[in-house]
This record gives sequence, C-alpha cells and structure tokens, in this order.
Amino acid sequence: MDFDAIVVGSGISGGWVAKELCERGLKTLVIERGRHVDHRADYLDFATPWEVSNRGQVPQDEVAEHYPIQSQCYAFNSASKQWWVRDSEHPYATPTDRPYNWIRGYHLGGRSLNWGRQTYRMSDVDFNAHKLDGHGIDWPIRYADISPWYDRVEKFAGISGANEGLEHLPDGLFLPPMALNCLEVAFKQRTEADHPTRRVTVGRCAHLTEPTPEHIALGRGPCQLRSVCERGCGYGAYFSSLSATLPAAQKTGNLTIVTDAIVERLDYDHAKQRVSGVRVIDAKTKQHRSYQARVVFMCASTIGTTQILLSSTSEAFPNGLANRSDTVGRYLMDHVVGIGATGTHPKFRDRYYYGRRPTGFYVPRYVNVTEKGGAEFARGFGFQGYSGRCSWTRGAQEAGVGAELKERLRMPGPWEMQLIGFGEMLPRADNRVRLHATRRDGWGIPLVDIDCTHGENERRLAEHANQDAAQMLTAAGFENVAPLGKMAPPGSSVHEMGTARMGRDPASSVLNAHNQAHDVRNLFITDGACMASSGSVNPSLTYMALSARAANHAADLLASGEI
Amino acid sequence: MTANDGKLDRRALLLGAVFLVGGAAALMRFSRKSTATSDGAGPALSAEQFSLLELVADVIIPGTDTPGALAAGVPAFLRDMLAAWGSRATRTEFVSVLEAIEKQAWAQFGASFSELPPERRLAIMRTFDAESLGRQDAAYSKFKYLVLVGYYHSEVGATQELRYELVPGAWRACLPLTEVGRASAV
Repeated sequence: MDFDAIVVGSGISGGWVAKELCERGLKTLVIERGRHVDHRADYLDFATPWEVSNRGQVPQDEVAEHYPIQSQCYAFNSASKQWWVRDSEHPYATPTDRPYNWIRGYHLGGRSLNWGRQTYRMSDVDFNAHKLDGHGIDWPIRYADISPWYDRVEKFAGISGANEGLEHLPDGLFLPPMALNCLEVAFKQRTEADHPTRRVTVGRCAHLTEPTPEHIALGRGPCQLRSVCERGCGYGAYFSSLSATLPAAQKTGNLTIVTDAIVERLDYDHAKQRVSGVRVIDAKTKQHRSYQARVVFMCASTIGTTQILLSSTSEAFPNGLANRSDTVGRYLMDHVVGIGATGTHPKFRDRYYYGRRPTGFYVPRYVNVTEKGGAEFARGFGFQGYSGRCSWTRGAQEAGVGAELKERLRMPGPWEMQLIGFGEMLPRADNRVRLHATRRDGWGIPLVDIDCTHGENERRLAEHANQDAAQMLTAAGFENVAPLGKMAPPGSSVHEMGTARMGRDPASSVLNAHNQAHDVRNLFITDGACMASSGSVNPSLTYMALSARAANHAADLLASGEI
Repeated sequence: MTANDGKLDRRALLLGAVFLVGGAAALMRFSRKSTATSDGAGPALSAEQFSLLELVADVIIPGTDTPGALAAGVPAFLRDMLAAWGSRATRTEFVSVLEAIEKQAWAQFGASFSELPPERRLAIMRTFDAESLGRQDAAYSKFKYLVLVGYYHSEVGATQELRYELVPGAWRACLPLTEVGRASAV
C-alpha cells in the first residue's frame, strides 16, 4: 500500500478529513485536481482599489468567452478570478431550458478560499424533518450525534457569533460576535417586538475575532475588517484549508499532497469487496497513474464526487460505484436564492460605522418551527441580511453633476438593507446528475449532465419569503421596499448537495450514519453529496463536522482491522 | 439612442437652419474620427474623443477644495480601461454617449462642447445628465458610473475626497457621522 488513506479533494471537507486522519497517525495522500496555491503569496488581498486591475472588473470579452457561469457569483472579480474555473475549459451539460449554475474552482484549497464563511449548525428540526412531514428520507443521525463534532470543528476553525439559546439554531463554541450596526439594532428591536417567534442575530462566520493559541500557532491572526475575503486572506483570519486544516495536517509529518491530478475513477476489487485504487490523470501531461490505500475518502465536491462514482463502473457496480440503490446522482439539492427584499431607511442619517465587517446579520428560520401552521409549503427559509449606507455608486443613478454632485457623494447616502432568503429545497429523484452519453472533457472524462429544477414547494416558499421580507422591512420603517425577484437557477447559492445521501436503508441511500458507503466498506464520502436534506442554513460547518466525525470513525475501523 | 436623437432633433429644429447645418457637419467630422478600434489593438478613443472626455469628466467631477477628475487622471484611466476591459459593444456605447453630448452642445448652444465656456458646458451636462437618467438611459448610467469609479477608486478620490483604509483593523458598528467625517470609498 502507498498510503493508509487517500482523500480526493482539498476543499473544506477534504482538508478536515486530512487533518483528522493525519493526527490519528495515518499516512494520508490528498489528491487535488487543480493547481498548487501558496497561502499568502498567491493572494491579491493587499491591492488597493486603484491597484486592482480594471477596478475589479474582469474584461468583458473574457467573461463572455471563459466565465459566463462563474461570473454570476457575487464574489467573482478581477482580484479573485483565479478561484473560479474557466467555463470554456470545464464545460458541463444541462437541458437548454433548465439551466443549472455549477460554480467552482480547481486549485489547492478549493472553495474554502472563496466561500461565504457563514457557519450555522443544523438542528433536530432538520434531522427530524422527515419524521414530521414525510419528505425525503430519515437522516441516520440526530443532533446529539453531530453536536460534539460541531464543537470540535468550531473550536479549531474559529467561529465568531452570538449564542441565542434557540433549539433550531443551536449555540456553539464561539469567538466574540461582531456587533450589529445602528440600523440593524433598530431592525432587531422592531422585528423581535412584532414577532417574538423571530430572532435577529449577527452573522456567525468563520473569522477570528480573538484568535486562540491554537490559531496563532498555525500562523493565523485576527480579522482586520478589510472585507476582501474572496481574494484570500494573508492574515489567515478566515478559515480555509490553506490557513488551517492542511497546515495542521502537515505538522504531523503524515501528509502528502499531489496537485494537478484529476481523479478519473476508483478501482473496485470484487473479491475483497473494497476500493483497491484511485486512478488519476495528470492535468498537464495527461499521463495516467494510480494510487492505493486502505481507505478512500471522496471530498471532491458534490458533483465532482458524483462524476467519479458514476465513472467507476465494474462488473459488481455496472451503474457506478456504491450505487446499488440507484441513488448516486439523484436528489440533487441547492438552497433557493434570489428571494427576499430590499429597502432604504430615512432615519439614522447622523450615524455611520468604521471598518468593513465581513458578515451581515441572520434571521433564522421560523416558518414551520416557531410559527407553526399557515404555511402552504413544507420546511422553511432563513434570511441573511446586509445593511449599510449607500456609497458614491448611487451617483450613477441620481441626477447631478459638478461641485454639487461631488459635495453630495462626499457624505454617505441613505441607509439600505437587504434581506436575502435561503430556502430549503426538497430532494426529488428526478433532480439528478448523470454522465453525458457522448461528450467528454479535455482529459477524456465524460461530462456531467445536470438536470435540476425547482418544484412547487420551492415556488411557494419563495413567494412567502419575498412577502415576509417586504413585510418586516416595511414594519421597521423602511421605504422603497421591493422584493428581490424570482428564484435564481438551482446551483446559484453554491450549496449543491445530496447526490450520495446518508440514510438508514441501503436500498434508498448511499451512505450510513458515519458517511461510509453501504456497499463498499472502505469508501467514505463527506462532501455535500452526503446530505439527506438541505436544511435552510449554510452547509459548510456541517460538512466540516461530518468530515471530522467520519475520519475518526474510519481511523477507529482501521485500528481495529475492520476495514 | 433613438429616443435621444428624436428629442435632440426637435430642439435642433427650433434652433434654426444655420445651427443644423453646422451641427451636422461637425457631427460627421466627429464620427469619422471615432471609428471603433479593432479588439486589443490601438487606442479605445480617438484624440478628439479623448479631449471631449477630459472636458466632460472635468464637468462631472471638477476640482474644488479637493482635486477633481482631471487631477486624478480619470480620462487616461478610462481610455486604458476601455481598451483593456471593454468589449467592442461597450466601447461603441461609451463613444455614443460622448457623441450625444457633443450633439447636445450643438443643439443647445450651436457650438462644439470644446468651444463653449465652462458655465455652458456645465449647463449642457446638467440637462443631459438629468434627462438621460430621467429616462433610465442605461448607456449614460454606465458612462457616468465609469467616470465615478475612475475617480472615487483612484488614490486621489479614495484618500483625499473620501476615506479609505487598506487595513481598518477594527469594526466600530455605530458612530456619529461627524466622528468619521466622510463616506468610505469602499
């Protein structure tokens, strides 16, 4: 054996698995399909606005030719462009009338470098949901199973936030919260007074507000309130694989990383009933090679992992590895986004703030939780909020030129607020990822073919979220209140998940309660593919906790000789 | 720009035949020199267009108690950004705004924008800006945005006119505006 363990992917999930396995003394290989990235040296976070090329805008012809999908992500700009794939080089198929936005980057650290850094725990409202409403399947775990692992990952990653004592948004081991601004405080008071069932709290985020000795030992420092996070952070102030998990894994001496290595398929040994090898194609030379290990973790992202499983056919698994249930690739989910409302506030014109807080505020789910009955749909949504004073950009829409314009834009504009809904998406068997029958990528690998749409439940949820957001803003004294609009195409929240789900029954799920494949005992999957339901909170913290939990379980099984 | 042309033509008719003839000749001359550059080659703006951009930017963001668009190098920045960033369609649209401003100068005062005294340039831009934004003219709004981002995200605009800290180092969530003084550039 080359290694004790192979981890495919170096993003949030893969970084966590590598750290835990290495710390358990296992020789671990991380295989990353993208290029190597040097923490700090490769970031453009110290460029001023006048130094950033074209004031942050990527050349229009380049966007049209190479980034038509990736550029739809809010964090895509000329200083962060390196964290997104070129659509022209990494195509995928969708039906023409059913777009799906697959937004991603191929490089060491994956999307942990340009993620939104919002970190919330799921709760038994999520884990019990199937028991109550029958949608999807039952999670094979409950909050008590994952809670200690949330503790573990929060402590190491460094999560800033306020404890609220809510059962449906569990408290955690938080670093000090960032403060709400004047308008947010007023909005919180009014909203909570009008609706004792609702809560407004500052966004919980993976930022070091007060680094611990453990953080500092990894070379991480406190958040400097710059809000250029999407470029990478030289202070290591937000959690990423490069600031935190991979350096910790490296310290053990047990970590090996290979980059520019595209996993083509996993080999299956029918006699031993195990994954016996990982075949890769060198991204640059296109030469093939393979690696062996006792256990394999798939952390290649939901759709990437699905592509590899479906490509890994054998006599034992003609429909793809670990796919006896025919659920690999099915039940693709995202969060419903593009919904909510925006408004401006006439008051607090004499108040402002200093610094650029890299998080907003959060209104956790209340529909079908603290407000039962009345909703014409299942599950629910939370709101991520943003507020601040309008900047000089308002001058491009407001009439005025000359000294008068300059004088006006010298001072901040009216306060504005956005409530941005994130809605749960129900799992549906026909929302699926397949391999394209004929088209292949530049390395000869079949393209993924994604067919995913929102259903009636999502449409009703979106309508409700738009109305609630507008109502809360109006009640809090906002003017010019307008709904954000229609649901964005699935994939737009970059929370894709569910295509190799956990479950109790091998006939309807791929993974057991420890993210181990029902069908293949030395195969684990801990990226978003494992999710049995989407919940309404940002999923990354859950991927971290499940990854750490599964890695330690695998280490136990290896130690006892069970795998 | 069809709606714009219609409005300007009506105003031009009121101004009389002499202006119409002179204006048309000037516009033709202007148009001939504004041929679009091939992608990636040559300057995005002709010398004449660049001169007009300098005058227009100076009107939109003049030097006052702080430096204005010219001192901040906005016209040269926009010329370079149009070449490096703008698609052919964007460059054409940008030039079309300059052409429309020149057309308005002839229509309103019977002379080229460049030949008019500063107060008349300001009068033209006030009218042009209000009317264009009033009918939500996307081309002009984008043009104005580029002038503004050229200025407010220049070193002069961000640090002398507004406030900018590369590393704020702290979050102070609720302060009297007077304590902060000016708007933040980012």
